[in-house]
Amino acid sequence: EETGDEENNNSFGGVGVGGTEHACRYCGVQNPACVVRCNVPSCRKWFCNSRGNTSGSHIVNHLVRAKHKEVCLHKDSPLGETILECYNCGCRNVFLLGFISAKTESVVVLLCREPCLSVNALKDMNWDLSQWCPLIDDRCFLQWLVKIPTEQEQLRARQISAQQINKVEELWKTNPDASLEDLEKPGVDDEPQPVALKYEDAYQYQNVFAPLVKLEADYDKMMKESQSKDNLAIRWDIGLNKKRIAYFVFPKEDNELRLVPGDELRLRYSGDAAHPAWQSVGHVIKLTAQEEVALELRASQGVPVDCNHGFSVDFVWKSTSFDRMQGAMKTFAVDETSVSGYIYHHLLGHEVEVQVVRNALPRRFGAPGLPELNASQVFAVKSVLQKPISLIQGPPGTGKTVTSAAIVYHMAKQGQGQVLVCAPSNVAVDQLAEKISATGLKVVRLCAKSREAVSSPVEHLTLHYQVRHLDTSEKSELHKLQQLKDEQGELSSSDEKKYKALKRATEREISQSADVICCTCVGAGDPRLANFRFRQVLIDESTQATEPECLIPLVLGVKQVVLVGDHCQLGPVIMCKKAARAGLAQSLFERLVCLGVKPFRLQVQYRMHPSLSEFPSNSFYEGTLQNGVTINERQSSGIDFPWPVPNRPMFFYVQMGQEEISASGTSYLNRTEAANVEKIVTTFLRSGVVPNQIGVITPYEGQRAYIVNYMARNGALRQQLYKEIEVASVDSFQGREKDYIILSCVRSNEHQGIGFLNDPRRLNVALTRARYGIVVLGNPKVLSKQPLWNSLLTHYKEHECLVEGPLNNLKQSMVQFQKPKKIYN
Amino acid sequence: QSDIDDDDGGGPVASDEDDDVQVRQKVVQVDPQEEADFERDFRAIMQESLDSRKLELRSRPTLNMMIPMNVFEGSARDHHGRGVEGESGDEIVDEDGGERNKEVRVKVLVKRGSKQQTKQMFIPRDCSLVQSTKEKEAAELEE
Ligand SMILES: [Zn+2]
Ligand SMILES: [Zn+2]
Ligand SMILES: [Zn+2]
Repeated sequence: EETGDEENNNSFGGVGVGGTEHACRYCGVQNPACVVRCNVPSCRKWFCNSRGNTSGSHIVNHLVRAKHKEVCLHKDSPLGETILECYNCGCRNVFLLGFISAKTESVVVLLCREPCLSVNALKDMNWDLSQWCPLIDDRCFLQWLVKIPTEQEQLRARQISAQQINKVEELWKTNPDASLEDLEKPGVDDEPQPVALKYEDAYQYQNVFAPLVKLEADYDKMMKESQSKDNLAIRWDIGLNKKRIAYFVFPKEDNELRLVPGDELRLRYSGDAAHPAWQSVGHVIKLTAQEEVALELRASQGVPVDCNHGFSVDFVWKSTSFDRMQGAMKTFAVDETSVSGYIYHHLLGHEVEVQVVRNALPRRFGAPGLPELNASQVFAVKSVLQKPISLIQGPPGTGKTVTSAAIVYHMAKQGQGQVLVCAPSNVAVDQLAEKISATGLKVVRLCAKSREAVSSPVEHLTLHYQVRHLDTSEKSELHKLQQLKDEQGELSSSDEKKYKALKRATEREISQSADVICCTCVGAGDPRLANFRFRQVLIDESTQATEPECLIPLVLGVKQVVLVGDHCQLGPVIMCKKAARAGLAQSLFERLVCLGVKPFRLQVQYRMHPSLSEFPSNSFYEGTLQNGVTINERQSSGIDFPWPVPNRPMFFYVQMGQEEISASGTSYLNRTEAANVEKIVTTFLRSGVVPNQIGVITPYEGQRAYIVNYMARNGALRQQLYKEIEVASVDSFQGREKDYIILSCVRSNEHQGIGFLNDPRRLNVALTRARYGIVVLGNPKVLSKQPLWNSLLTHYKEHECLVEGPLNNLKQSMVQFQKPKKIYN
Repeated sequence: QSDIDDDDGGGPVASDEDDDVQVRQKVVQVDPQEEADFERDFRAIMQESLDSRKLELRSRPTLNMMIPMNVFEGSARDHHGRGVEGESGDEIVDEDGGERNKEVRVKVLVKRGSKQQTKQMFIPRDCSLVQSTKEKEAAELEE
């Protein structure tokens, strides 16, 4: 999640996006040599002279359907801005006009067929009337007067059908400004049009995705704006930058919304006898483990710092990220330079002849500062450097960040300009930025303005940090102003103007001198990058981004794109069910796989104990996952934990406890399972494992909250130890690892499904987080109905790791499995 | 980890222009029904245009145009100062080479209000409009 900043919207000035006034209203072709304007005063629309998929050219189609008869040429056409008319009588009906040679010389005029062509005087003047050449020939304007767009231009244009032409012409009769998109607008209650595998053109693509992004935006807004909280207690503090910080606990409801750093909140105080009513907007800069929020306020004046109770807080929803997705789709459609022709057609699923990128390959595929690459990593790096579009699939722990960094290193060394590196999440961008920087490349990490106060492991790479620390004499003016601003909190308006201009210039200078720019996908739409072009783009975690999100970094002129991800792990999170059902949750990576692009798979995993990787490898990666770590390297020496089978640090702990509905009524919890989680955690801690080595995964918020509370209240050891243990959903563990994982499955209801864990990708993620050992808690009777869980249970059973009884006396369980249902898809 | 000098540096760089994408073209099929409908509408508007003129102008019109004589004169130095010296109607060979010599330069006479203007334009040699001119010129030369 990322929010932008209005003050920044025009930083470097905007780049004119295509879709000019003279673009063909049917197909979008905008070459001035190919278009003419209908000259009927109420119409004045532009059309091109290509036939597309119809029997007449677009302009002729329009004239015939609308019964309009006059046209005007474009000012950049050979004849300039000219209304076509008969040289003799001034008739402007193009259906009557034609060219004729005046006498013998090569001077031609337009003459109307009726009546001027039959004037006897012309014959007397020796004009050859038989050579009169009609303006409209074969239902197309004369090609030498109005050019036909090239095949390329036509393929790049919107593919409009005769039916659509008829419909839009009909619509124009009542609404002359209507666009083709208006034809597709669904009614309020309609299901949106689902995503497709292939698209005729980028306009059709936009027609499908724009409503889905809108649905998600509306839902997101509704959800967030309904999150107001009253009666909050505030603790006041002042940050290093002299800004006021409010700390408070933001109780989390039992839904999927969680605050993230950078979110904007409005803090309110309704006033009392001693204080006037007050409110201020601020950014979340930190979330503590105790769910305390740190909010940095924008204005520090008039803050009622002597009050601590009775505050309210609202979520300030911002449309920035959704606006940027919509903008990227529009650019993709109307701006021919937004992506290369090859990538354009490829992304739309058109059949394109294979293209090889003719770049010199390096002798070695590793990069300085990075670990040596293994064979599958070298193969991936080598292959993607030669292809305009490629996919890299990185199963858990296979080193996709290192591989990505190596690719970026070699791309940057090819001298094709700056490389753009993106990922949907800030965490992933930071990780990648760090690795790329280790190769010695100059990296700039561009953060949203709202996140500048959020601490980051790569702060020294961030643009805002570099602006503050670029210490040359000519920048001293900026530094003086910065200091003044820091001390006083504000500047005079003239100083503020000067400060902004200097800052903008410095930002641009630093960004332009970088080899690599790193930002989130949404961040690639930042106005500070508006004038930048990137031919080479790498997107990490691309399987967690929606297509429109992925498009934002691509439409900056991409010619070579590498998508890294794993479609066997979790996809993007879509809150709106309607949009998810229509396919917004499918990533571009996945669609390209469906289109037949074969991903390069990294095959050696360095995370899991070989016993832990066996099931995921067989179930999700066709058994191709090899172990880059040995059993010895994953032996936890000195840790005395009752694993049922020595050298096999895993077991399925059979739970028959009843599931309940949590207090909030929308989530599930299982008390006995929670109690057993506490016992396992305590056993780990006693045996010498430290809290940050342990992760507890549970799919339900109800269970999560219950486990946290239960451990704090009933834990056998010091409370603080339990507080430091991360208890979270599968989704928030994606992309990360822990030494030990405890998975609490919760559902034990015979009559219902297993909800969240029904998604194989979620199970894959849950099972592949642990390095040294994993404990799964659940009810085999319920879980075995699901085929994948059935095979997981069978796997544990075959290895004598399906157990029950007290922890200090685990016995193999004889519980019977149910037959798996075949309903899963 | 020892690979330090592992890049060749500036190899051949793909130029901006080499976006020679080959899209496998699908055969455009125009729906015959659509074609027939369009043909009917096209003929209708054509007929209607002709009919309306016949009704409007019952009497034979007179010739009402001025062709400024200087357009027929020698050099074709045009208004845009393109400065390509040559007889009008000449085949044009310029730096575009092969492309242009399939074209013939003509002057188009247009009215801007009451004023005449000429604009230069290129017409394919095989267009009937210029072919007849060339033939006639040839014939005149014969005489
Ligand atoms: Zn019109
Ligand atoms: Zn068109
Ligand atoms: Zn006329």
